[in-house]
Amino acid sequence: MNAIIENHLTTNVGAIHQNATQNVPPLLELKRLSKIFTTDAGQVHALSSVDLVLQRGETLGLVGESGCGKSTLARLIMALYPPSAGEILFDGKNIAQSDKAERLARHARLQMVFQDPFSSLNPRQSIGRTLEEPLIVHRRGDKVARKARVSWLLERVGLHLESAWRYPHEFSGGQRQRIGIARALALRPDLIVCDEAVSALDVSIRAQILNLLLDLRAAYGVAYLFISHDLAVVRHMSDRIAVMYLGKVVEQAPSENIWRAPLHPYTQALMSAIPSPHRKSILGNKKRIILQGDLPSPLNPPSGCRFQTRCPYAEARCRAEEPLLQAADKGHTVACHFAIG
Amino acid sequence: MYRIILEHILQNRAAIAGLLLLVAVILIAVLGSFYLPGDPWEMANAPMLWPGDDPDSPLGTDIMGRDIATGMVSGAKVSLLVGFASAFISALVGITFGALGGFYRGWVDAFLMRITELFQTVPQFVLAVVLVAVFKPSVVTAVFAIGIVSWPPTARLVRSAFLVLREREFVLAARTLGMSDPRLILTQLLPNALPPVIVISALNIATAILTEASLSFLGLGDPNVMSWGTIIGNGREQVVDAWYICGIPGIAILVVVLAFNLLGEGLNDALNPQLHKR
Ligand SMILES: Nc1ncnc2c1ncn2[C@@H]1O[C@H](COP(=O)(O)OP(=O)(O)O)[C@@H](O)[C@H]1O
Ligand code: SF4
Ligand SMILES: [Mg+2]
Repeated sequence: MNAIIENHLTTNVGAIHQNATQNVPPLLELKRLSKIFTTDAGQVHALSSVDLVLQRGETLGLVGESGCGKSTLARLIMALYPPSAGEILFDGKNIAQSDKAERLARHARLQMVFQDPFSSLNPRQSIGRTLEEPLIVHRRGDKVARKARVSWLLERVGLHLESAWRYPHEFSGGQRQRIGIARALALRPDLIVCDEAVSALDVSIRAQILNLLLDLRAAYGVAYLFISHDLAVVRHMSDRIAVMYLGKVVEQAPSENIWRAPLHPYTQALMSAIPSPHRKSILGNKKRIILQGDLPSPLNPPSGCRFQTRCPYAEARCRAEEPLLQAADKGHTVACHFAIG
Repeated sequence: MYRIILEHILQNRAAIAGLLLLVAVILIAVLGSFYLPGDPWEMANAPMLWPGDDPDSPLGTDIMGRDIATGMVSGAKVSLLVGFASAFISALVGITFGALGGFYRGWVDAFLMRITELFQTVPQFVLAVVLVAVFKPSVVTAVFAIGIVSWPPTARLVRSAFLVLREREFVLAARTLGMSDPRLILTQLLPNALPPVIVISALNIATAILTEASLSFLGLGDPNVMSWGTIIGNGREQVVDAWYICGIPGIAILVVVLAFNLLGEGLNDALNPQLHKR
């Protein structure tokens, strides 16, 4: 699987640098973004003061254990619910302050591929209707043009044209995920948020879907926020990777840095968990860290460093003082008291 | 999708039996008014003829000499009309309340559910009697009264379906397209919440027919329209001497109510995805 993907790996670093120098606002910027869910059990701190930047055409990978707040982040970006604090800037504009027309325009440019292929398609709508829906809502083209676009989309994601008359239950998980991707692609968005887009699929199907996403990126320059709990999958997709732990970003760096020189103990633990024959050579003689215990409850996050309860290097300072994200290298930041120097 | 559901219905004995009985009643109502176009209130023959006594009155006559067969045909039309129309009103009100409450949650939901509870605490039949009595007995008031008292279970059903559906990923996907709320409700959530509403509506039709008969029996029916309940009400004094006057419409009510119950039960099985897997 890795080999197949590597052939398709395109790096967009050139484009990204160009943007940075031309003083264009980043495509997506999250500023001190927090989300607290109030439940019967108490306040769930799903996301705590997250800062992230995503440039045009870039793929940012977001990785972390299940329950660390990845889906919450995705849903905040999609404006499915409002943040408790902080800002989301799309194209430099705060999405909370957009009027109706701006909101609709943003929806067209910002699309999402969902995790569960068995829940993400309306069981009572034909595939053709599902793919036509975005075009109808955004008044793109007449009936003939829309049908043509639906056919084009089906072909683009590798499905038969007759699929348009079929219903979701007639398709396999991988085929449904292709339909979900076609739907996200229908309006030619600038950014597609993929939340665990391949996690529910068989390993053999997974590579095909990842390749499709890479193809689309190469062809249309679409940016991805690629979310997964699987670091190996994220690494192959991403230009940069952000590692999340319990609602916080603990390390952020270009993909290769994360892979070759992970600085945060949690990132190192995720690396250790990757079943790979190359792991030894990658980690060198660094100590292999096995994650112990469960993710602490976001109802009551640990004091100081949130990783403190599971970190093999934890000291008194870690319990008392929260580490801030600091630059370790160019474009590489890490939040650990002892990771730098 | 609907073809599969239809196949399941056709494999279900209860549904088939209910459907056949229903077709029979509809045929009686349609063909009957063709063959027996007379006025059911008119004195057509000698009074108190037993069924079979006179071929002109195959089901006999009542104490006023009114032809029971003609009355039965008129009653079939009234029963079906009141059953379908009031179940439709009940579904409309129930879907509206349940959909808005389940979709918007919060204070909208709290407000709508409070009203629903209010309607549920008053006994249905008592409320129907009061409504009909207040607004003059007629077929139209009966339809509205029965519809107005029977929607709360539908509202609760739709609400709970919407609460689950609104979190499903295909609904989130539609939201992220920028779809408007009415479009979201009508094209994404409602079609997926409808099957159980169809089942409960079939049962509502049965209840409505019974309620209408009871109202007419109590003399709260439309004074110009002969319904099965009216015939029973008129014949109740002679029930010992001429039981057939109450018996014939009584059996008819039983059969129709049974038909819609069977149909509802069959639909419930046919639309229940868990049963399909076995
Ligand atoms: N709607 C919600 N209400 C209450 N708690 C929620 C809600 N959504 C997510 N959470 C909680 O927030 C935390 C983060 O969840 P999520 O973002 O789904 O994590 P991930 O996608 O990384 O697995 C979890 O503890 C989860 O239980
Ligand atoms: S700050 Fe302390 S507890 Fe947190 S990761 Fe670093 S060493 Fe571990
Ligand atoms: Mg998730």
